[in-house]
Amino acid sequence: MTGTPSAGLLARVAALAIVVVFFQIGVVSEVPVFGVNVDLTPLLVAFVGLLCGSTIGAVTGFAVGLLMDLALFQTLGITSLVFTMVGYWAGRLRELRDPQAALTPLLVGAAAAATALIGYSLIEFLLGVDAPVSFDLVRQIVLGTVVDTIVALPMWAIVRRALEGALPEDPRRRRRRRAYTTGGLSPLSKA
Amino acid sequence: MYDKTVRRRRAVLALLVVLSLLLLTAYFGESSGGGLHGVQRTFLTIVSPIQDGANKALKPVRDAFGWIGDTIDAKGQRNELRKQIDRLRPELIAAQAEQRTYRQLIALYHLNQLGLSNYHPVAATVVGKSPNIWYSTVTIDKGSPDGIRVNDPVVNGEGLVGKVVAVEPDGAQVDLITDSTMGVSARVGTGNATGIVQPKVGAPNDLLLQYLPATAQANKGEYVVTSGTVAGPDDSLYPPGLLIGQVTSVNEESAYKSANVHPIANLHNLDVVEVLTSRPGGTAEKQKALIASLPAGQGSESSTQGEQLASTGGGG
Repeated sequence: MTGTPSAGLLARVAALAIVVVFFQIGVVSEVPVFGVNVDLTPLLVAFVGLLCGSTIGAVTGFAVGLLMDLALFQTLGITSLVFTMVGYWAGRLRELRDPQAALTPLLVGAAAAATALIGYSLIEFLLGVDAPVSFDLVRQIVLGTVVDTIVALPMWAIVRRALEGALPEDPRRRRRRRAYTTGGLSPLSKA
Repeated sequence: MYDKTVRRRRAVLALLVVLSLLLLTAYFGESSGGGLHGVQRTFLTIVSPIQDGANKALKPVRDAFGWIGDTIDAKGQRNELRKQIDRLRPELIAAQAEQRTYRQLIALYHLNQLGLSNYHPVAATVVGKSPNIWYSTVTIDKGSPDGIRVNDPVVNGEGLVGKVVAVEPDGAQVDLITDSTMGVSARVGTGNATGIVQPKVGAPNDLLLQYLPATAQANKGEYVVTSGTVAGPDDSLYPPGLLIGQVTSVNEESAYKSANVHPIANLHNLDVVEVLTSRPGGTAEKQKALIASLPAGQGSESSTQGEQLASTGGGG
């Protein structure tokens, strides 16, 4: 998204972020699946970036990360930094490639989850947390990525549904639709 | 326009990253009483009631998810517990068998303390049981080298079990008191009247005390013990006073009285028994002295002959 975001969109993203963060802390974190917890927050950040672009994605990532760090009394800045990168990367993916495949949210969700888990672990190690790099840690990262990937599609549907009405039309898509409807790229026009 | 957008995007990213790093550095560097920690605590104070309310409101959702997770976990636990049961079952069976054997040995020990040690008991393990409903026999692991002979009485901690009917060097066969060929001279309680205990026709697990004099006292619930009669060459095979069973009902007949008797010894669950290798005749003098002290006319001959008849006639 290249233009200035509307206030409606920002309000919706903010509301969605607050709801998802509290749902994550209050419900999802207390229900382990295969021994790990599903983390909806990197999925939310990645999907906001994928729908709204890199700037909103990065800001959402920072805000959600800060909210998580504040609410969970974690070291401030770690989650913000990781989620900022996730949101920005997802937004750039949309701006550069604009992938339309049905499995795109699945792959983006998996990549976001893996990036968040690995990035968080790396920063913790850089900060000098006294923990060995064990097979258990790798297993947790892999399992966490798998379970997040499983819930990626439903989460994508929720995020898209929540933001659908407020999303401004993308100029590239507008151009592409105009080309199809006016015969520019239509196979019928060549006949 | 494009450059401006790119510059703005990059500036926002740089700002957020720098802000994150600043937060990280400041938070990591300050003490727990620092400003950022204070902000965090304030945020928690504000958010806690909301979080608490949300927590309560979302409890059903959490429980629903938890139920699914618990169900999956419970299945895994169930499978693991089944494996544990499979592993522990043989140990339990072995422990129960050892416990049963121990109890029987203790009971035998108490029986020996009551006077059976005079009969040179030989402890033996039951190694085989007849599966045939018509023959109540067991095989024991002690034989002739251990001093076991045919007609030796066999007891367990509860009372009389049967007698030896065949002896080999490495084992012996025992007819149980419920075998159709058995007959044991017995009396009811402390009375002097004796009769013959034999298996009840049609109820191979029950006994019938027959040929009691019509005047004899026999009441339901009284114990039936071996009479151990010693009267010359027709001495009873069994020591006196061995518990056989308990009277369950009494039948009044014209010349004789009979009583239904339920065996005391659990004949279906024999593991350890004792063979009394020394006959009552071995202490005959002592027992004859006892007989001599009894009032005259207390008939024991008929019952002794009956026991011998049953034993020989029936193959016992």
